[in-house]
Amino acid sequence: MDSIISIKNFSMQFGKTRVIDDLSFDIMRGETFGLLGSNGSGKTTIIRALLGIYIPTGGALLIDGKPYSVSGSVKLGYLPEERGLYKKESVIDIMMYFGQLKGLSRDEARAQSMSYLQRVKLEDKAKLRLDKLSGGQQQKIQLGITVMGNPELLILDEPTKGFDPVNRRLLMNIIEEHQARGATVIMVTHQMEEVERLCDRIILLKDGKARAYGTVAEVRQKFKGHSLNDIFLEVYGDENDEEESNHA
Amino acid sequence: MHNLSTVIRFEIVRTLKKKSFWAIALGFPLMFGIIFGIIFLSNQSTSDAAAKLEKQQFSVEVTDNSGLVRPEVLKAVSAATVTDRETGRAHVTAGSVDAYFYYPHDLTKNKIEIYAKNVGLFDNGRYDAVARALLSSSVQTDMPADVLAVVKGSVTTSTTTFRDGKEFDPMKQMIFPGVFLVLFYLLIAFFGNQMLTSTTEEKENRVIEMILTTIEARTLIIGKILSLIALAFIQGVIVVLPALIGYILLHDKLSLPSIDLSSLPVDWVRISVSAAIFAISFLLFTGLLVAIGASVPTAKEAGGFIGLVMMLLFGPLYAASLFISTPDSPFVIGMSLFPFTAPIPLLLRNAVGNLQPWEIATSLIILTVSAAAVMAIAVRLFRYGALEYSRKLSILEIFRRRG
Repeated sequence: MDSIISIKNFSMQFGKTRVIDDLSFDIMRGETFGLLGSNGSGKTTIIRALLGIYIPTGGALLIDGKPYSVSGSVKLGYLPEERGLYKKESVIDIMMYFGQLKGLSRDEARAQSMSYLQRVKLEDKAKLRLDKLSGGQQQKIQLGITVMGNPELLILDEPTKGFDPVNRRLLMNIIEEHQARGATVIMVTHQMEEVERLCDRIILLKDGKARAYGTVAEVRQKFKGHSLNDIFLEVYGDENDEEESNHA
Repeated sequence: MHNLSTVIRFEIVRTLKKKSFWAIALGFPLMFGIIFGIIFLSNQSTSDAAAKLEKQQFSVEVTDNSGLVRPEVLKAVSAATVTDRETGRAHVTAGSVDAYFYYPHDLTKNKIEIYAKNVGLFDNGRYDAVARALLSSSVQTDMPADVLAVVKGSVTTSTTTFRDGKEFDPMKQMIFPGVFLVLFYLLIAFFGNQMLTSTTEEKENRVIEMILTTIEARTLIIGKILSLIALAFIQGVIVVLPALIGYILLHDKLSLPSIDLSSLPVDWVRISVSAAIFAISFLLFTGLLVAIGASVPTAKEAGGFIGLVMMLLFGPLYAASLFISTPDSPFVIGMSLFPFTAPIPLLLRNAVGNLQPWEIATSLIILTVSAAAVMAIAVRLFRYGALEYSRKLSILEIFRRRG
């Protein structure tokens, strides 16, 4: 497997705060990769810098050997951590708009939108304004837009945020389908059970540095066979202990 | 190109679906229709009332010390004469006569006195009208028609002016170039706020990250601007079309003046200069409004800037007479060359024909460079200020960021 994403000596600083410090790792084509860490560990910053939303302080973040550009060769599906769509437009109009921006024809965009809405049992909401839908339903629409056009690279930042168990299962199924057709999936999360179920390899971040990097088995081996959940607690536990001692 | 047309279609369709667009678009011609309707009905009822008054018969007595009121005129309205004011006044108070008019000896120094039975605030005016009519009818009887026309001020003039040996009417000359001034004003007035808030929606709805990873920021901004231009055209049609249809249908009925466009002079050079100033200025101000919108977190905060931009843009209108009368003054030249105040002075001065060739060339260059710079800043602000959901951005901060 060749690498689709290559991050080399990446550093990111906001004001005087260094969020990422000389980080390097690769993500292979067709694998499902977990970007793990607690809140504020720099996961979303890496994704935003990778997609050109942030300009890195140092280093290089490459997709297929080049910095990401909308007109580049890789078809991207991105579900950001900050969720939102055009609230005053109808569901079908929004889905078709994004579908067409991703290069689909009007008919293809309509067909794919309706097919997805049927799958998630929202076909009767197609002509409703987005803000008439519940929060969970809006999340489903955003996920549908993300996977529209069968992207080669799927980046999901906290994908299960706001999903109930039923919808979480639906999301997992959708991810597995895209895995099966060879898409590269990057999951930014701290839901360890999802990672164990879906991810081939992971990187665990703390203070902008990699604390563990490799296959799930390799990482577990490094931490004496503990579950990822226990590893997470071990890595971040001292942080909580420090906080507790500070409070005491 | 595919994405640009997608953005334009999306922006146009969703704006056309908004009730607020139609409220403004139809509200403008509707408001004018209502105003003209009120004026028409008001004039109609006033003239009906005046006609009714003229037909009203009332008994009147007159004392004429001026010697100007002719007996045959008095006879025509069955007015009797009395010798003194006190008698006439007593007849009115006693109710034996409706009105009494007293014409003093010297009308240049004294007033015509009217004593009459009260018939209401509006209808009391009939006494004044009849008293004046008796006098003017008497005086005009022996007056030749031409003298009468002069006295009435109904004499008309025809002026022909020349420039470089050819007939030149500055008023007619400014009509076609001046259209761009009106168009510019209407466009900014109608769409200024929409331009200002066109990019804040993506921020407020948190859709910006998905958008920026799906489409180039430049394409999105250009698409939004082009859609605004298309919407302005649609709105223009909505405003002009009913007026045009109304003019064609009601031209004869309302005795509207005939407009002969073929008689208006067409100076293609001046029209082209106006068109160029209009187009570049529109881009400059659109870019400015989009840039402001991109640098603030919400539409509400963006709205606070619209007054400032309008003041900058239309403030020069207060100096309009200076732009026409003293085109060589440093103030006028300065206002015409400074890009953010230039559109109104340039369009106005070009319409009246006092813009020098060097000023045209210089101002067009300055406007073009400024529009390009502002557009670039707007795109950059949108691109790199995208994730600033809760605070304003300074331009310096944006340019300090590398890349």
